[in-house]
Amino acid sequence: MSVVQYADPSVSRRKFDRELAEYRALGQEYRRRGWFLVDFEFPRVLVALCAPNIKPSAVVMGVVFDYTNYDASPPSVRIVNPFTGEPYKFKDLPNPLNRALPVQEIPIPGMPKEQKMLLGSAQPYMQAYGPDEVPFLCLAGVREYHDHPAHSGDLWELHRASGAGRLVRLLELIYRYGIEPISGFGVQLVPQVGLNYGPPPS
Amino acid sequence: MPHRNEIELNVVVNGQPVLVKANVEAPVSTLIEHALKQSGNSGQPIANWELRNASGQILDPTRKIEDYNLQSGATLFLNLKAGIGG
Repeated sequence: MSVVQYADPSVSRRKFDRELAEYRALGQEYRRRGWFLVDFEFPRVLVALCAPNIKPSAVVMGVVFDYTNYDASPPSVRIVNPFTGEPYKFKDLPNPLNRALPVQEIPIPGMPKEQKMLLGSAQPYMQAYGPDEVPFLCLAGVREYHDHPAHSGDLWELHRASGAGRLVRLLELIYRYGIEPISGFGVQLVPQVGLNYGPPPS
Repeated sequence: MPHRNEIELNVVVNGQPVLVKANVEAPVSTLIEHALKQSGNSGQPIANWELRNASGQILDPTRKIEDYNLQSGATLFLNLKAGIGG
């Protein structure tokens, strides 16, 4: 969805250029982690995130940032197909950026109270209303988060001064929850069993 | 001439690099404090920030800087935590 530029374009552009310049200053370090700056033209940046620790290395996802009106308004963030730039639907996301929730201790009926069941769960940072919707990154510092009616009490202005919408900060978080946990390829093999025959009798 | 306990670290605050002088016997929290001040970041308490080294290890703010065997010129990454969200 296109957004009208209402903030002074020269201010947004200067801040966008600063984000890029700071990224490039440490570009080699970020590339070592598997971040590739693919495309950048105000107000958009596309970064491809790869998993360099697995063999063969994998291009996992792309992230598009839109810095229109920055920093009167936070950037828009979308997880996209890194090859086409198309935003993923929720059902197609490489992963939903899960964060582990504190482990819950649940008493087991009939057992001594010291013996408890430990229940671990996770909550995704990517949110959508349905599997066919384009999800948004539900984090302070992201335009879609602050525009959502459920977060009207958590204003962008409360986060702006601490750099919550900065390019590297958001990439760090997406990398931490979306790429760092990848430890290898998951392979599912479905064996099929049938009868094996010799040559047919004459 | 720098004091023998003093090192200079490159702290990248949300992507913005700042050079911070640190006493190795001081806790990591003082390094975070200085880096935030020098980079002009305000509005969020130290507890909402996370300091990591280049290999991704989180530095405990309560431990001494010398516990991490950091050399002058090393690069650290200070980022605002994700928060609750989701």
